[in-house]
Amino acid sequence: MASVALRGLGKRFGTFTALESVDLSIPDGEFLVLLGPSGCGKTTVMRMIAGLEEPSCGDILIDGQRVNDLAARDRDLAMVFQNYALYPHMTVGQNIGYPLKIKRIKGEERQRRVQEAADKVELGHLLARKPAELSGGQRQRVALARALIRTPRLFLMDEPLSNLDAKLRTVMRAQLKHLQRELATTTIYVTHDQVEAMTLADRIVILNDARIQQIGTPAEIYARPANVFIAGFIGSPPMNLIEGRIENGRFVHAAGAVGVTAADRARAVLGLRPEDIALADPADADLVGEVYASELIGDHTLLSIRIGQTLVAVKVAPDGGLPIGTKAGLKASTGKLHVFDGESGERPPVRQ
Amino acid sequence: MRRSLPARFGLALLQMAVAAFVLIPFFWMLSVSLKPTTEPFAIPARLWPEAPTLANYVTAFRPEFRDYFLNSVVVSLSTVAITVTLGLLAAYAFSRARLLVITGLMSLVVLAQMFPHSAIIIPIYKMMRAADLLNTYTSLIVAYVSVTLPVAIWMLHGFLAKLPVSLEEAANIDGAGPIRVFWEIVVPLARPGIIATAVYVLIVTWQEFLFALSFTSSKAMRTLPVGLNDFIGQYGIRYGELMASSVMVSVPVVAVFFLLQRYFVAGLTAGAVKG
Repeated sequence: MASVALRGLGKRFGTFTALESVDLSIPDGEFLVLLGPSGCGKTTVMRMIAGLEEPSCGDILIDGQRVNDLAARDRDLAMVFQNYALYPHMTVGQNIGYPLKIKRIKGEERQRRVQEAADKVELGHLLARKPAELSGGQRQRVALARALIRTPRLFLMDEPLSNLDAKLRTVMRAQLKHLQRELATTTIYVTHDQVEAMTLADRIVILNDARIQQIGTPAEIYARPANVFIAGFIGSPPMNLIEGRIENGRFVHAAGAVGVTAADRARAVLGLRPEDIALADPADADLVGEVYASELIGDHTLLSIRIGQTLVAVKVAPDGGLPIGTKAGLKASTGKLHVFDGESGERPPVRQ
Repeated sequence: MRRSLPARFGLALLQMAVAAFVLIPFFWMLSVSLKPTTEPFAIPARLWPEAPTLANYVTAFRPEFRDYFLNSVVVSLSTVAITVTLGLLAAYAFSRARLLVITGLMSLVVLAQMFPHSAIIIPIYKMMRAADLLNTYTSLIVAYVSVTLPVAIWMLHGFLAKLPVSLEEAANIDGAGPIRVFWEIVVPLARPGIIATAVYVLIVTWQEFLFALSFTSSKAMRTLPVGLNDFIGQYGIRYGELMASSVMVSVPVVAVFFLLQRYFVAGLTAGAVKG
């Protein structure tokens, strides 16, 4: 159990900047997800916290203590690697018990705790196997058991679910969330999968281009993405982004216009979530386009509507599908519009 | 792709021809070792002795042979132990180093193995004489270590570079220090490579002749390959005993090689293909 603080943390590899100065504080017991596309620096942040990578600048504090110069083995944290990093020459039981062996916890107690940890991830019956004899999901759980056997101050997880198939991933996700609540151990979790981030996190930190883009709860980030990058990254399907301009309090596009509360600007991006758009009669719609595709997903139908050069996704009722080529009017739910600056991509500050 | 029947037949025939070509000298060695003194140069030559005898073996297994054998064992096993230990440590450093300077040294190691033995034997001889080490086990062991170490580093490097670094990182995070990581994670995983390298070093040192001949002057210090020389006299060569000794010299290495050959093949191809 621990709190973590990063102060001006940065990392350069030669001339390449993997991470610019990052400031972040993580309270005790939080499940924090670092989310971003590959190469955004999220794994670098985690590896520096773990002590596997030396920061080029800045400080890492665990429970208020600066740990920059502390070796990985003295930081008392546990990590689950993307490739699980199980020791192939040891059995499942030896793998899980290895941290205790190093701590010189012997015989019966070690046995008991290995069994406990293995039971927690439903591996109790496989202790004598070698990792090579396990399925992907089982290996993943061995890695997890090895991490939680010694109740570390901090859990670090580097894309732990990315090597599993989709169905197993959903199951493991729920298991992870449950375990983390039960253990109440501060957890830092790296992923590029926004669904994982949304479902697991207490707070999400979105990274891109070696910088933090936004920090917030999943609900906050979903409701108020700070820029077009985040808007286009979060949600499935993500927010629709339509380029146009703002004139006299209206977002104007060749296909129509819609009232917004934003200052005039020559280039602007309008953001609309697929569920915040309703179909309307083209005569009194905000924007007008034509149906490009209509896909029944199950609990809803996803319409793709071509507005100028942009395809706009719209969620409608399962029976709301339309034939391709139909003219369709779109009406945005008031108060659910997002406006971003066309140059910087940022959400302009709220007008007082 | 499956080859056609005639193609496979042809290939098998070719393989047998190559194998026969390679094995004929060994067969001849065995055959001569079993021939009575009258037979090796009988005309017409016979592939297999008319009256096989073990007499040559009885003469060849003289007290000196046992001394030579012991010397060979001491020198070879010491060399194997030292070379593999040093090689493992060096290869580990090379495979994990992030500094360009250190990885650059690896090419120097490769360079070191390019000098033919005959080119370095005289300088090494002079050094040994200056150090007063001639005619000792030490002189041979030092020379053999220096000759085999570059190849050993190279072979082990191939193995260690293939081990995923994340295993060592995981052990680090589990609380293990560098020495523990090396002994409990790296060494067990590199075992096939260590065995392959040890076999290679053993074969090279066991059969080495030039250094052994130059550095040892007394009979008591001779190794087996030099000992074979005893049967080559000024006025004639005693082929029967010579070949019987050769067979006895070969048996231990051949046995080791057969037992461990799967590691050896793996060792030579390590890192050659992407797994």
